[in-house]
Amino acid sequence: MSKVYKTSTRPALDRVSVEVDKGEFVFLIGPSGSGKSTFLRLLLREDVPTRGNVFVHDWNVAKLPRRKVPQLRQRIGCVFQDFRLLANKTVAENIAFALEVIGKPAHTIRKVVPEVLELVGLEGKADRMPHELSGGEQQRVAIARAFVNRPLLLMADEPTGNLDPDTSQDIMLLLERINRTGTTVLMATHDHSIVDSMRRRVVELNLGQVIRDESRGVYGVGR
Amino acid sequence: MRASFVFSEVVTGLRRNVTMTVAMIITTAISLGLLGGGLLIVRLIDKMSDIYYDRVEVAVFLTEDVSTNDAACTQQPCTDLRRDLEGTPGVESVVLETREQAYERFRQIFESQPELVELARPQALPASFRVKLEDPERFPVIEQEFRERPGVLSVKDQGTFLERLFELLNGIRNATFAIAVVQALAAVLLISNTIQVSAYTRRTEVGIMRLVGATRWYTQLPFLIEAVVAGMIGAIVAVIGLVVAKFAFLDKILAAPIEANIIPRLGLLDVAVVSPILLLVAVGISSITGYVTLRLYVRL
Repeated sequence: MSKVYKTSTRPALDRVSVEVDKGEFVFLIGPSGSGKSTFLRLLLREDVPTRGNVFVHDWNVAKLPRRKVPQLRQRIGCVFQDFRLLANKTVAENIAFALEVIGKPAHTIRKVVPEVLELVGLEGKADRMPHELSGGEQQRVAIARAFVNRPLLLMADEPTGNLDPDTSQDIMLLLERINRTGTTVLMATHDHSIVDSMRRRVVELNLGQVIRDESRGVYGVGR
Repeated sequence: MRASFVFSEVVTGLRRNVTMTVAMIITTAISLGLLGGGLLIVRLIDKMSDIYYDRVEVAVFLTEDVSTNDAACTQQPCTDLRRDLEGTPGVESVVLETREQAYERFRQIFESQPELVELARPQALPASFRVKLEDPERFPVIEQEFRERPGVLSVKDQGTFLERLFELLNGIRNATFAIAVVQALAAVLLISNTIQVSAYTRRTEVGIMRLVGATRWYTQLPFLIEAVVAGMIGAIVAVIGLVVAKFAFLDKILAAPIEANIIPRLGLLDVAVVSPILLLVAVGISSITGYVTLRLYVRL
């Protein structure tokens, strides 16, 4: 598909065609402005492509009517570089919030929140406030929130961008664990060492075009 | 939809920008109070027309000569006049009011102004036929026919006086409504602004809600309810204001004309009838404003 922003002469994405199977782990790499964020936005239906189609699961995302967008987003988990936690809520409340606002019953929330906290290794920190946690821990909370509703796809936009290498490694182990549950993981990143050490599929974008798609790739030679 | 979640969101929202909320409530209350005042005047006019419709009569005043010499109306030309009036189609009843009766009524009406009563003498007042018409619009016919008759001083329609009174009241009502509309406009802008500020202060929450797939209703309902709650509080304040205004001012200012049965009394019942209208208008305006604002200005 292609995406042209009105304010730009060059398309943000130019005839990009990528297919990701269920359960895959894919790195989306490329320099700033290469179209990674646009790619993720189109999957989330934050934007619609100028030409072409986007499919997630059974949905034709580009043609999805507005009222069905929430259903799509309930099946996609999102993690960001800046965590995006609610500062006035505890760890458990932050995770519960994601379920409350999609109308999950209270007894379900009481059951699944401790489970997901255990999965991300934050049992015992349920009642902490986000500012009391380290960056790595905050990102774990964000991942827990993205994963608590068991999404089909977990999208991570530079999740390790604000973290030191060791902590980044922990986060990657967590994402791998989530991937092993059958959840597709799509991660946009600049982090060479992570991409090189994981040896997963790599899709590289440059100036809006896919210039590389390797099944067990590295970040790039000579960079 | 989890009510407790929405409710707690609404409470935080209203508390978070309390100054805006208060301004919104006050403006709404003033606007609704004026609307309520206008509606009360409408009720007053209705009641007055009911009272006066029965009383509206055509007065055929008799000349000095007849008034003095034929008080019982047993001679010409008075007997003829009465017979012809009674025979005119559309006339419901004809009652003779003698000079003494006219004076008695005058004294009653101006009871509260004894110096006026002092000055008046029965001789100054003419006797008259009080003619009640089936259709008050037929007055010109009566006037035409009897104005020039011997023994007739003049023919007056009391309706003209009432028309002027009603025109005045209608004018006050229209002015009240006009100010209410201007105030309502201010209230609408404030509601819209408050929702925008509210949405901005909660943009992180709203962003996360969108991201995790909350429906539009779920993200917008707290803002909408916030506006409606503020509107309803405004309506309640307006009703309290109307009750206070009734007891503190209206009842005192209008005490004399109410006692004299010129102006009907506005009771708490009237306020009670107007209140649900105000509440409905408040809910309607605030929810529509909220909805439109969220649709147009706030990307949720």
